[in-house]
Amino acid sequence: MSVIFLLIAASTVVAGVFLAAFIRAVRHGQYDDDRSPAVRMLHDPAPPSNENTVDR
Amino acid sequence: MSVRELTTVTCYHCGDACAEDHRVHDDKDFCCHGCEVVYDLLNESGLCDYYALEAKPGVKQRSSVDEQRTELFDLSEVRDRIVEFSEAGITRVRFHVPQMHCSSCIWLLENLHRIEPAILRSRVSFTQKEVAITFREERFPLAQLVKLMRRIGYGPQLTAAKEQVHKGVPHMVYIRLGVAGFIFGNTMMFSFPEYLGSNTEAGLRTGFQWLTVLFSLPVVFFLSTEFFRSAWAGIRSRTVNIDQPIALGIVALWTRSLWEVITGIGPGYFDSLAGLLFFLLIGRWYQAYTYRALRFDRALEDFLPLVVIRRTAEGEVAAKVSDLVPGDRIIIRDQELVPVDAVLRDGVGHIDNSFITGEPLTTRKEVGGTIKAGGRQRGAVIELEVLRSFADSRLKKLWAEQASLQDRPTMPRLIDQVARRFTIAVLLIALGAALYWWGKDPAQVWPVVTAVLIVACPCALALSMPFAYGHTIRLMGKKGLFLRDAEVVERMAHVDTVVFDKTGTLTAREAHEVVWMGASLSTEEKSMVRSLARNSTHPLSAVLYSELKEPLLSVLDVDDHAGEGVFGLVNGVAVRLGAASFSGGVEQPRANGAAHVHLAIGGVWRGYFMVRKRARTGIAQAVARLRTRLRVALLTGDAQVDAELTDAFHDTQVRTGCSPLDKTQAIVQEQQAGHRVLMVGDGLNDAGALAQSDVGITVTETTAALTPASDAILDAQAVLLLPTFLLQARRARRIVLASLAISLCYNLVGVSFAVSGHLTPLFAAVLMPLSSVSVVAFVTVAVTLAARSKH
Repeated sequence: MSVIFLLIAASTVVAGVFLAAFIRAVRHGQYDDDRSPAVRMLHDPAPPSNENTVDR
Repeated sequence: MSVRELTTVTCYHCGDACAEDHRVHDDKDFCCHGCEVVYDLLNESGLCDYYALEAKPGVKQRSSVDEQRTELFDLSEVRDRIVEFSEAGITRVRFHVPQMHCSSCIWLLENLHRIEPAILRSRVSFTQKEVAITFREERFPLAQLVKLMRRIGYGPQLTAAKEQVHKGVPHMVYIRLGVAGFIFGNTMMFSFPEYLGSNTEAGLRTGFQWLTVLFSLPVVFFLSTEFFRSAWAGIRSRTVNIDQPIALGIVALWTRSLWEVITGIGPGYFDSLAGLLFFLLIGRWYQAYTYRALRFDRALEDFLPLVVIRRTAEGEVAAKVSDLVPGDRIIIRDQELVPVDAVLRDGVGHIDNSFITGEPLTTRKEVGGTIKAGGRQRGAVIELEVLRSFADSRLKKLWAEQASLQDRPTMPRLIDQVARRFTIAVLLIALGAALYWWGKDPAQVWPVVTAVLIVACPCALALSMPFAYGHTIRLMGKKGLFLRDAEVVERMAHVDTVVFDKTGTLTAREAHEVVWMGASLSTEEKSMVRSLARNSTHPLSAVLYSELKEPLLSVLDVDDHAGEGVFGLVNGVAVRLGAASFSGGVEQPRANGAAHVHLAIGGVWRGYFMVRKRARTGIAQAVARLRTRLRVALLTGDAQVDAELTDAFHDTQVRTGCSPLDKTQAIVQEQQAGHRVLMVGDGLNDAGALAQSDVGITVTETTAALTPASDAILDAQAVLLLPTFLLQARRARRIVLASLAISLCYNLVGVSFAVSGHLTPLFAAVLMPLSSVSVVAFVTVAVTLAARSKH
């Protein structure tokens, strides 16, 4: 039954990875703007942007 | 005779009522040329989805008084602030656009590339009200980009001050909250065997206990640091604040639990510790979240233009205001602010000093006359010679003067008063319990004392205030009052005197009342007046032009004698509009701040128009409502107050001709008499008074416009809701008191268990989340219900 500690160690490491990912996301500004993503997904896709056109 | 339609037509673009400039285009109504132009631009670029997403999403193109010249954006220090990178002809800038308010705004700003091919892409961050635009600068200069954005109503705002707009919730708050949740969840899981009391082997049991010890380390050394720091600061300054009992509770929890695990007598209370920090940090997050993204502090530089046109040997070039030296020649156009003290060298000045004094009527200046910094030119282009540099100007001295006045009296916060009594009570109870058990069973002394400290931890107490006031702030924001932080709500609840400024606060800047005094005029005669008024630059003429609705006729031989009147031939008839002497009339006594425009047709004096500022709708009722509970006063820089307002303010203090310093002194007097003052004002001339009063509220026509430093910003339309807001603040405070009572009940229950020595880890772990959640729920529901009730 003491193998449970090995399991706990393993799952803690996995959970820790997720925590680290969360912290990384926060640092990169993921949660800075919580309003526009909700609105943005309702917009129809625009015609392709001008990035690929060289001359106009 | 056609039947007049009673329904008002609203503009397809911005939603304003269509008045005399109403035009129909493409089967749609527009209120003005500006809105029609924006519609055309969007239509041509195939962007009419802008109107599909939200009805009337446009922002009306008011001639913004704070508009900086586009040359400003070529200055290197401005570029440093807004340009993120610029390479190979492609540039990325980040603009602050506070006008964005809906999904259409986001959509349009992210589809700019469809209007202008040189724009590659743009991305909006709505919470910060920013947009990042990537574009080919080599073929589309930055200044042109700014012009384009202004055309569609989303001109970027720049400020002279160095600090940035508050960027929402700080990252550390989220990180702490995430770590707290992680540890809370895991610790709870490790504690399950203890709760369920199962027959686990001793080795497993101690193993789990040490795991909880390990997980508690980040709780104490990372998550709790801000509470310890604040508690220590309180101790050093000899004050009691709410963080001290919290810090005490955390320390007691941790040391007691460590002791229990090390000596093997029990599992400790690490789960309660983790839970405590989790809930406290939720409270802190909510506090940070309700902080609005508006700037509340202002420097003088925010009001004035940063760049003016300077005439040098090479021609006219843009120069920074701070670079101007005495002797420089600068050119000021219509509607622009004069940024430094200067002497007029060419042209005729019609200077409006409303920025400083609040009085909007212009004074005429001739060549050689001095113009003070802060005046606005309303007329043709003038050339000035700089007299004093900006740093030496009288305006800057006036501002510094107001900033150095005595600080406002401090108001003790409710939460600190409660914390003081609470801490003392807890220490007394702990002492009492220690003495009791010392006599009965000395081994129980420390367990009981620590149990008391643990359960008395004011988690619910600390949460009730941020949630009650934070929710109140959000509800007020929806109605048009934006508060700086939670403390303002409490100060509003204590206010007993309300002081108003007049111009711009109680009266709308552009709303006038025109009454004709004399024998009635025919429609044709009114047309003549309107047509002539259109050709004059005087502000009173503009008022007449917009108030009269008769069709226009052609006018010839217009002769504008600025300051006296305007003459013209309308349909061959000589018409004169202006001062009494100009139109052959007799000067009438002016009642209460009215201006008189005399009219003569065909050389015969016919009478005069009485033009008055109209008070905002509902002001009289709002003032009456306020007077049922509070004292009110009116301080104004104007020489007179109109009848409508005099009635509303009868029997109270009304002072006219106040300078900014007079207003501040009046408020100081009230405060020294023991009153708590709330001041409502706008403009630079109220800045000192607003800072001095216990609560300073600035009225603004658009939330994007700059306003003096204050505790709150009030939308112009919402001024008549002021009594309701004050009522809401008072109710919020009462709700907080009720929630304090509730959390005290929980504390009493917990303490009684602790004193009798029966505080089990399970009980503590349940009590705390239960009390926190119930108090927060109660407070949120109560505030929402209180806001809904009509009285």
